[in-house]
Amino acid sequence: SGELMDLIRTEGQRMTAAQPSETTVGNMVRRVLKVIREEYGRLHGRSEESDQQESLHKLLTSGGLNEDFSTPYPPLRANVIEAINELLIELEGTTDNIAMQALEHIHSNEVIMTIGYSRTVEAFLKEAARKRKFQVIVAECAPFCQGHEMAVRLSKENIETTVMSDAAIFAVMSRVNKVIIGTKTILANGALIAVSGTHTLALAAKHHSTPLIVCAPMFKLSPQFPNEEDSFHKFVSPQEVLPFTEGEILAKINVHCPVFDYVPPELITLFISNIGGNAPSYIYRLMSELYHPDDYEL
Amino acid sequence: DVASAVAAIRALLGFLKQDRGETIQGLRSSLLAAINTLSRVDSSVAVSSGGELFLRFISLTSLEYSDYSKCKEIMIERGEIFLRKVSLSRNKIAKLCHPFVRDGARILTHAYSRVVLRVLEAAVESKKRFSVYVTESQPDQAGQVLINLQKMAKALRKLNIPVTVILDAAVGYIMEKVDLVLVGAEGVVESGGIINKIGTNQIAVCAKAQNKPFYVVAESFKFVRLFPLNQQDVPDKFKYKADTLKTSQNLTEEHPWIDYTSPSLITLLFTDLGVLTPSAVSDELIKLYL
Repeated sequence: SGELMDLIRTEGQRMTAAQPSETTVGNMVRRVLKVIREEYGRLHGRSEESDQQESLHKLLTSGGLNEDFSTPYPPLRANVIEAINELLIELEGTTDNIAMQALEHIHSNEVIMTIGYSRTVEAFLKEAARKRKFQVIVAECAPFCQGHEMAVRLSKENIETTVMSDAAIFAVMSRVNKVIIGTKTILANGALIAVSGTHTLALAAKHHSTPLIVCAPMFKLSPQFPNEEDSFHKFVSPQEVLPFTEGEILAKINVHCPVFDYVPPELITLFISNIGGNAPSYIYRLMSELYHPDDYEL
Repeated sequence: DVASAVAAIRALLGFLKQDRGETIQGLRSSLLAAINTLSRVDSSVAVSSGGELFLRFISLTSLEYSDYSKCKEIMIERGEIFLRKVSLSRNKIAKLCHPFVRDGARILTHAYSRVVLRVLEAAVESKKRFSVYVTESQPDQAGQVLINLQKMAKALRKLNIPVTVILDAAVGYIMEKVDLVLVGAEGVVESGGIINKIGTNQIAVCAKAQNKPFYVVAESFKFVRLFPLNQQDVPDKFKYKADTLKTSQNLTEEHPWIDYTSPSLITLLFTDLGVLTPSAVSDELIKLYL
């Protein structure tokens, strides 16, 4: 199984190098690697309790090296395939799991704010709308204005929706009870990589002490830290910001159109994922359950 | 060049090898006496944490084997392995931490920390250019050590890192210019806070006020089972040097050598167990002392 893991790792490296901002690819590769390790360990006779992680305890008591994954086990293949199928089922059910928690968090006559378009948040709000009456304010999230699509979908479910521009976020925030957003990635320190405009929203919410809830499935949790390798940043054509028809001006100025924003963990109140609600300071624990430390660097 | 906790553990291991006792109880009490003697010479947090770790190590090993002589052999063998692993910890930390030093960064550090120096060396090896501000760090001018004498200081200059020494009082003034603060630690406490040379708390507060990241690098054997809620809670035996404790009349007139920085001021801790947020530290400690 050592060879299998190397194969998967090389493929994973190729895929993440192709589009570094799509972190879920790397996350899934790491999950699979962890599955393989676990199955191997189970067949090898190690107990489930024994810590795979580094710890002070391990430093003191371990006698020697760790395993080399070279003993072949025929049932290993079937076990791994079964475990991966379980993983697939879990992944397909994530949106429903998150939506099921909606009623605990949204109450009647509340004003909820969100930004852009997120399928998870859409399902979350729709589920709550079945039993409760509330209003939603959607920030349109320029320049792609996906907020418009979100508003259309929500209003089809008879939820009272208002669309406003990003500049008005702070002005309206005093009337908002909760902010619920989706995200692209969750980093290892509890921070977010989300659509451009989310940091502004988070700061406004902090200023007014409004709770900021992030709805995101666990496969978005990535064991990376925000550091120099800011390969999360993705820039697209500045056509959206300043169209090419303004040719004269374009020659004299620099135009950027970043797609993502970094939101630090202090601004976030709660993460709602398919395994329940968690505080940002607890993210490190979830990481150790999902991934093995040797796989953090693919 | 070795951390004082590691030296303490090495001494205790040597003591263990020579011990003539026949029982675990006897061994424990003679080890406790040895640790006391060590702390009477150097009463720092590091020696205390090293000693506690060693005692824990003995207890854990003795639980597994009932035959004393076999037990002792295993202990000595594991002790050697432990020392070897621990000597690699600085390199592990440097590998984890140097990506956080961006190209063109200005770093502020405090007093003399070998782990921080190793991290900066690793950053230079990965071809990054940065400059360092060091506080003078009275009362023993440990910061100066980085500039004037010592092979480490000369090595920093040799690696062509531009270094500036600043007064301890100038930290608030210089904070707007720096990009990140990087300090070592003498001890890491259960809440995720650190115990370090006096002046660290001030730097942390200034960094928080100006939104600069405050990174701590520490090896895992520095984790200690203390939970101070404020500066007063840190035991006196750590605050003052061993000689002062023995000779002085009134401790309140002496200047403390260390202070406590609370976890809310720390952004991340880099240890050989990985990159940890301060809330993860207590988890690690629980895993050990369960």
